[in-house]
Amino acid sequence: MSAMLELHSITRHFEGESSPLFRDINIEAAAGESIGLIGASGQGKSTLLRCIAWLDKADEGVIRMEGIPQANFEPREWRKQILYVAQQAIMLPGTLLDNMKTVSKLHKQDYDAELANMLLAKVGLQGLELDKPAAELSGGEKQRLALVRSMLLKPKVLLLDEVTSALDANSMQLVERLLAEWRDEEGTTCIWISHDFKQVKRVCDTVWFMSGGRLLESGPCEAFFKQPATEEAKSFIGMIPSRAYEEVTG
Amino acid sequence: MSYLALSFTLLFVMVTMLISVWQKQGLEKEIAIGTIRAAVQLLAVGYVLQFIFETKHPLFIIGIIVFMITVAAWNAAKRSAKVKGMRWRIAAAITATEAMMMGLLLGLDIIEASPQYIIPISGMTIGNAMVVSGLFLNGMKREIESSRGELETLLSLGATAKQSIYTVAKRAVKSSMIPTIDSMKTVGLVQLPGMMTGMIIAGADPVEAVRYQLLIVFAFTSSAALTSLILSNLTTKLWFTDDSRVRVLK
Repeated sequence: MSAMLELHSITRHFEGESSPLFRDINIEAAAGESIGLIGASGQGKSTLLRCIAWLDKADEGVIRMEGIPQANFEPREWRKQILYVAQQAIMLPGTLLDNMKTVSKLHKQDYDAELANMLLAKVGLQGLELDKPAAELSGGEKQRLALVRSMLLKPKVLLLDEVTSALDANSMQLVERLLAEWRDEEGTTCIWISHDFKQVKRVCDTVWFMSGGRLLESGPCEAFFKQPATEEAKSFIGMIPSRAYEEVTG
Repeated sequence: MSYLALSFTLLFVMVTMLISVWQKQGLEKEIAIGTIRAAVQLLAVGYVLQFIFETKHPLFIIGIIVFMITVAAWNAAKRSAKVKGMRWRIAAAITATEAMMMGLLLGLDIIEASPQYIIPISGMTIGNAMVVSGLFLNGMKREIESSRGELETLLSLGATAKQSIYTVAKRAVKSSMIPTIDSMKTVGLVQLPGMMTGMIIAGADPVEAVRYQLLIVFAFTSSAALTSLILSNLTTKLWFTDDSRVRVLK
């Protein structure tokens, strides 16, 4: 059986930059797997997710979904299956309900009010008035609404770019629980970008670690945090002081 | 007006030059070029119009309208984002607007089918369409830069390029029409329009001049709406790459 997602020799080189942001990334994700994509800021984690979601384009390499190359899909068909949820949740013009109905309007489907209300309740947004302008929501409410709006499309892969960064501990727990249940029921593959190691340990089976423009490590989450294989990973998770820290402190 | 009287109008240019020298604005060269160009262009147009009015040959009328559209499209494209295929789309939008306007004006017998009416009114319609095109394209560029998140949110939810740009384009169409609508509201109160003023100076009955001015004002509103709507439809794909990603505009 082929993997849900395969990345072969993925390289992204921005125009005007002397070296690629990342290069030669080869990795696979299974159906229903939950992956933590971690690394220091500026390593290209978000860009990698955007390439996977086809909102950006890798300069080299091939991305496959269930064995079929990205190039064989229409962009919208690909994006319906592999959905990127941005850290900065953008509310579309209109009310909360307008936002919730976006997916059904775009794809001319019936709006599944029951599922939508159930998802809203599970992330703690059950009390919101749906006729309220979406722009009036707080940052945390927007993040949760954007996630629910995306889940209504029932994608095969959810790319979660720091989707709990604006949430309090309780709301974060609700989101994590919902995504775990969703993954069990729908078999959705989730790739999380998170700087919260505790969260990665809680929600991920596997870790992909990026450093220096490479995917340096990939493997079971528990093993990674217990015994990372590279100096870079050890430094990143704080097992040894980072080089930058040593330089500062002498 | 005699040529001697016309030559005295250069005094106004001299005043401008003196102010520029006195204030050290460094605009003397620009003023000189502008003066020469305005004089040569307008005198040439005067002789060309005189010739066309005498011959009354439809090919000459069409020729001068095509020339106006080409210059207008070239000028509007200079102010828009540098995207391949922009210029002919602007030309197509202005041509369609001009064709519809003239079709209505001549078809309903609102104006006489003679070069004295067709050419000046076409000039004003095309000029207005050029300004509206520039406003629309500038508005689109600004909207795309500021609403990239909104566009990408829609794309990530599986929207087509056309679906994702709809609201943004609607906003740009609206903002490109506002100056025309505003000038319609204040016409006669803030400024006496050029056509009406010209007719009155030439000895026409002021009420007759007002009737023609009203024709122009009303025609401008629909030409503004038509131009930006047509251009909005023709340019939809230009704001995206071939694989439906939001283009980075230069």
